[in-house]
Amino acid sequence: MRAGDLLDVRVPLGELLDLRSFREVCNSFADLYRIGVKVIDGSGAVLVDVTSGSNEFCSYLYSNLEGARRCSAVIQEVKYRQLDGPTVVAIPCFSGLRYLAIPLVYEGDVVGRAVFGPFVPQELADLPQAIKELPGLDLANGRRLMAQIRRAQDSTIARVLEHFAGICSVLIFSAYQVYLTSKMHIESVRESYREVVAKAEKLEESLTRLKELDQLKSNFLATVSHELRTPLTSIIGYAEMLIEGLAGPLQEEQLEYLQTIMEKGERLLHLITSILDTSRMESGRLRIEAEPVDVEEALSSAVSSILPQAKKKGLSVAFDCAPTVREAVLDPQRLQQILVNLLSNAVKFTPAGGSITLRARDATTVPARAQGRFDGPESYFVIEVSDTGIGIPAESIDRIFDSFYQVDGSATREFGGVGLGLALVKSYVEAHGGEVTCQSEVGKGTTFRVLLPRTYINPVRGEALLRKYAS
Amino acid sequence: MVQINHERRELSIKVVYYGPALSGKTTNLAALHDRFSSEVRGRLLCVDTKDDRTLFFDLLPIHFESGDFRVKIKLYTVPGQVMHASTRRLVLQGADAVAFIADAQRRATQANNEAWRNMIEDMRANGIDSADTPIVIQFNKMDLPDVRTEAEIRAAEERGNEPVFTSIAIRGEGVVETLHGLLQLTFRHMQRKYGLANILRTDEQGFLDNVFRNVDLRGTSMRRIGPRFERREGVR
Repeated sequence: MRAGDLLDVRVPLGELLDLRSFREVCNSFADLYRIGVKVIDGSGAVLVDVTSGSNEFCSYLYSNLEGARRCSAVIQEVKYRQLDGPTVVAIPCFSGLRYLAIPLVYEGDVVGRAVFGPFVPQELADLPQAIKELPGLDLANGRRLMAQIRRAQDSTIARVLEHFAGICSVLIFSAYQVYLTSKMHIESVRESYREVVAKAEKLEESLTRLKELDQLKSNFLATVSHELRTPLTSIIGYAEMLIEGLAGPLQEEQLEYLQTIMEKGERLLHLITSILDTSRMESGRLRIEAEPVDVEEALSSAVSSILPQAKKKGLSVAFDCAPTVREAVLDPQRLQQILVNLLSNAVKFTPAGGSITLRARDATTVPARAQGRFDGPESYFVIEVSDTGIGIPAESIDRIFDSFYQVDGSATREFGGVGLGLALVKSYVEAHGGEVTCQSEVGKGTTFRVLLPRTYINPVRGEALLRKYAS
Repeated sequence: MVQINHERRELSIKVVYYGPALSGKTTNLAALHDRFSSEVRGRLLCVDTKDDRTLFFDLLPIHFESGDFRVKIKLYTVPGQVMHASTRRLVLQGADAVAFIADAQRRATQANNEAWRNMIEDMRANGIDSADTPIVIQFNKMDLPDVRTEAEIRAAEERGNEPVFTSIAIRGEGVVETLHGLLQLTFRHMQRKYGLANILRTDEQGFLDNVFRNVDLRGTSMRRIGPRFERREGVR
């Protein structure tokens, strides 16, 4: 619907006004002034019809065949006579009684009429000739009944009627105000809703597009990593063969060069593997292969793998595993990567003379997205990696787990790496149904806290279990 | 769209007062309400908040007879506050003519510009060709400090395609002139499109006389709008 029409609409009086309350008002008017009140809408429908004193007289006339015919004609006049100006019009009844009518107006349109009567005009001395002519009517009875009807001057009734019409006009205006306002309100809400829906659709479209692009990127990374790894493995392999002397003895300098080639090659291979893992993670293809794990052994093995670098920098490394958390069912390779990545990070960002501590202990909390609806802390354990390193500024903490994010992103930054380590840690931990958090103070050090389930439950298997118990 | 009902012999014209928030749109209608005699205008319908900000719209109907036609001119205001965008668009639907009420203070320039762009955009969204719709501009609040000078305002009129009026709506100054100017353009526009003179059996002057006969014209000075403003093709 157009609002032009909406604001232009005309509502029948009966729908616009609260008829029950309106009739009560009309009743009290009729009581107060001892006169009948009629309110008729623009189409001639009678909305209010209160009589006062005239009932018996009118019924008596109506019981006469000719009287009824004439009476109906008068009522037609009362309902439909054209009312032009805003002034009071007198409508006579054949019985000598009289009605006064006034149009009800809204925005200059006649939307109905108010009629007062019938009353006995002040100047009427006796029943008129027209009644006396009615066959079979008892005139004495007629006079007795007419005496029950109010006798009044036109001007008196007209003043009350004008006053009444004024009140009606305010009621009609107020009702239109409320009606138009609520219509407009509804339309405005609809219009806003349409806008929101249209915007949501656009957002949805761009989201789909972005997801496609993201998938493309992941696929590309996977392909490139794979294509890079194949020749790299050969390079490392041949370097290894040369070192082992399979192609004849080498001089010390040649051996040193080859070892550098191999070392750098392996670093590159590690990096490419990380990138491949990230892309797998993003495309949701990372699989957790859980099996029983000796946590203490895992910690020990992780520490030993970073120990050479730590020693080179003069850092002390300690680890401690509470006896209650030695056994777990997790993916051992992923656990190892989690530990090594966190430890390497600690080594990288802790200045000489600092210390690194690795601890495993009982959990006191449950991850926000726990594996099972009724999990408690006893289903989890915590691994903490603390260092006395440079720390992470508060504003960066939320972003350190993003792929490729570097706290110091400048071209001349001091520390190496591409920013995948922590992203992988987060992915692996979350793939296990765990949670990783970080607390840090610049200049004092950083603690990463990894909350892992003691037993990893494959979500698919988890659902199968649930179904089993439910049945 | 003007509504011509030949059966009921009725013609209804929708005039919308558009403009930035607090530029005086409702004040214009209130001033017109005071100037028009009660025989030719209805009650002023205002739906506002307790701090007098228009919530949905205001409506002042004017009606008169011309030939054997009843003519109704319905003056609406839109709510100016930015958040009521959808209501503004709804009120503007089917507008036959627009009075753009600008705030004459220099610091309101940006708000005026934005409201003007919104108006053109809202008209477009409603399928109204702004280049083919009578529009006048009123610079209101001329009594305040740091407003545009008369010379600047005349220059603004020269630059554009709309007649420009000045006003102090709060004192009722300039509001009748603005409506008078807009209705001149509206009559000519409708004459061109629908042959209004034949329908109403009156010419432009007769039409204006019919509208303004029952208006308190003390202190007003009407302006004849030149033919330059009749066609608005080529407006941005």
